[in-house]
Amino acid sequence: MLRTVKPKNARSKRVLLAREPKEVEDPRTAIFVNGTHAGEKVKSVMKELMALKRPHAISFSKKNAVRPFEDASSLEFWAQKNDASLFVVGQTTKKRPDGMVFVRMYDGRVLDMCEVGVDRFVSMQEFKTPKSTPGHKPMMHFASELFDTHPRFMQLKSMLISFFNGEAIDSISLAGLEHVISVSVGPTPASLTSTAAAASATLGPTASTSTTSDSALLPKVHIRAYTIRLLASGVRTPRIELTPMGPSLDLSLRRHTDADAEVLKQALKRPTLRKQEVEKGLGRKRKNLEVDEMGDLRGRIHVGKQDLGRLQTRKMKGLKGARADAMDVDVDDDADDDADASGSEGSRTKRRRSE
Amino acid sequence: MDVSDILAAHAEKQKAVAVEKDIPLEVDAGFLAVTDLNPVDTESYGEDLEEYLQSTARDGVQALINALFALPTTPSADGPLAQLPPPTTQLPRAKHLPKPKPPTKWEQFARAKGIQKKRKDKKVWDEEKQDWVDRWGWKGANKKEETQWLSEVRANADVDHDPAKAARDARKEKMAKNERQHQQNLARAQGASASATAPAPPQERKKQIDRTLATTRSSTASMGKFDRKLEGEKKLKGVKRKFDPTEVSASNEKSHNLAILQGLDRGPTAKKSRSSGDDVLNVRKAIRVASKGKGSAALSREGGGAKSRSNKGRR
Repeated sequence: MLRTVKPKNARSKRVLLAREPKEVEDPRTAIFVNGTHAGEKVKSVMKELMALKRPHAISFSKKNAVRPFEDASSLEFWAQKNDASLFVVGQTTKKRPDGMVFVRMYDGRVLDMCEVGVDRFVSMQEFKTPKSTPGHKPMMHFASELFDTHPRFMQLKSMLISFFNGEAIDSISLAGLEHVISVSVGPTPASLTSTAAAASATLGPTASTSTTSDSALLPKVHIRAYTIRLLASGVRTPRIELTPMGPSLDLSLRRHTDADAEVLKQALKRPTLRKQEVEKGLGRKRKNLEVDEMGDLRGRIHVGKQDLGRLQTRKMKGLKGARADAMDVDVDDDADDDADASGSEGSRTKRRRSE
Repeated sequence: MDVSDILAAHAEKQKAVAVEKDIPLEVDAGFLAVTDLNPVDTESYGEDLEEYLQSTARDGVQALINALFALPTTPSADGPLAQLPPPTTQLPRAKHLPKPKPPTKWEQFARAKGIQKKRKDKKVWDEEKQDWVDRWGWKGANKKEETQWLSEVRANADVDHDPAKAARDARKEKMAKNERQHQQNLARAQGASASATAPAPPQERKKQIDRTLATTRSSTASMGKFDRKLEGEKKLKGVKRKFDPTEVSASNEKSHNLAILQGLDRGPTAKKSRSSGDDVLNVRKAIRVASKGKGSAALSREGGGAKSRSNKGRR
């Protein structure tokens, strides 16, 4: 564990404040770590994934002796040091050639891991087509029934959404939608279609890592990236055409670690939304607000019943407590004022009278 | 009037953007994601992989775009913004939920009294400058009294009374008070959480023990000079014996001595009033001893023997 630092100046204080847990989280930062032997293919795959993930991506391009499935301590250290919660570790061994491990963190600890092998890779440069703008949010497309039934693929889907799109936003510019990342799975083998096989598959991953024979049965995963073109269709919604953008990857699933049930429960906790936010949300009834036929927003407000008894009206001398005496004097004064058209003489008489 | 042509044309137009699938696509507009749960068409998958992947992706994206364009929009400088619904897919968070801050003493009080928080503007209007100035901070309005070239002084003020200094002292005092309260709030928050979980950390504990030791030393007349020293114990600094001056005014001395005499007179009665009865005997203790902790009821049951024993205790 890193020692907790007390900020010494305003700048570092701001940085630490920005790293504190928030209700609505920032996009996850991913660190791309080269293992001891990453290999040309895995290196270029990670480079292109990083291009898609930018600007929330950090590259660790030196050789790092890190084995996520055996010891995750250095990942935890890097996560805290860089405020990152995603890792892609590239490692090539004789046993597992061209391997990449996707690691997701929760609270500075490893939540779950998923290892994939890169079977085929076509770089972005080989497609001579327009590319998406860095930093734009991609759309995600998943195609297979396994994404809803098989735990390995459900984990992969969750991992990839976290990786590319995992931040909740409340609005998006429709003109800014430029590209889509499509994740498809090969034909489902017969062993996975029957319910018995599915049950055994669910039971399997209770052990921390699945065996290689288990993984060999799983179909391949195809990841493609396309840019979209919006064509006029005559109706409001445009017609979509896709152009391959690259990279295109064919992956096979290997080892994995499931999230600890207790930790996952913690990680899935949602903040209780404030009432104001609920009312702001879409599709919910906003009380006492309506749009009339002219398009004006009209509100209805409720005002409590007014207590007229305690209403403070204009303060007048005549309405004060000792009424009778004051009345007499006032009447006399008026008479005097009328008699001699106001002046020092009149005021003197007034004083005398009132005494 | 025949509208079948128009309807047909409209249907034709719709066809271009409609997506027909056996199992309808699951769209999660919040994460801009769409899931196609239809089984893979093995034939076209084997025939031309890239073509097949692109066509399924196109259908999926079309469905997603249809859903996104149907969302309500708000205008903005960079074109319309689609208002996204909250995502339906549950993703694990990267960090735990923020813990609520423990309320400060003022917040507790305000809640008890139902006082609403009123936010002050950071800027105030300066009539002289005809401009908005900061309420505090650099060139803040709270330093106005210290910097103005002329200030009112009361007629009976001291000769060396410096209004600028007085104002500055008052401001600094306020700052110190605020900081003190802040520290107290922190300590209270710490204490609340610490008492719930574990005893004070060793550093804190050491400080507490040192403080207690210092208090005990200064409580003897010789200020702990002749106390047994512990190994490695440091000499306490800044603690001195205090003596009354040898020469005092007659009136002072008189009042001092009278106070002692009065204290002598009052002392025993004060002690007496504290005990239960008007004699020196602590009856409750006596009963407890006599009945061997069984109480007065057991004593009365035993009868006369017990009474004589309780009398023995009287001195």
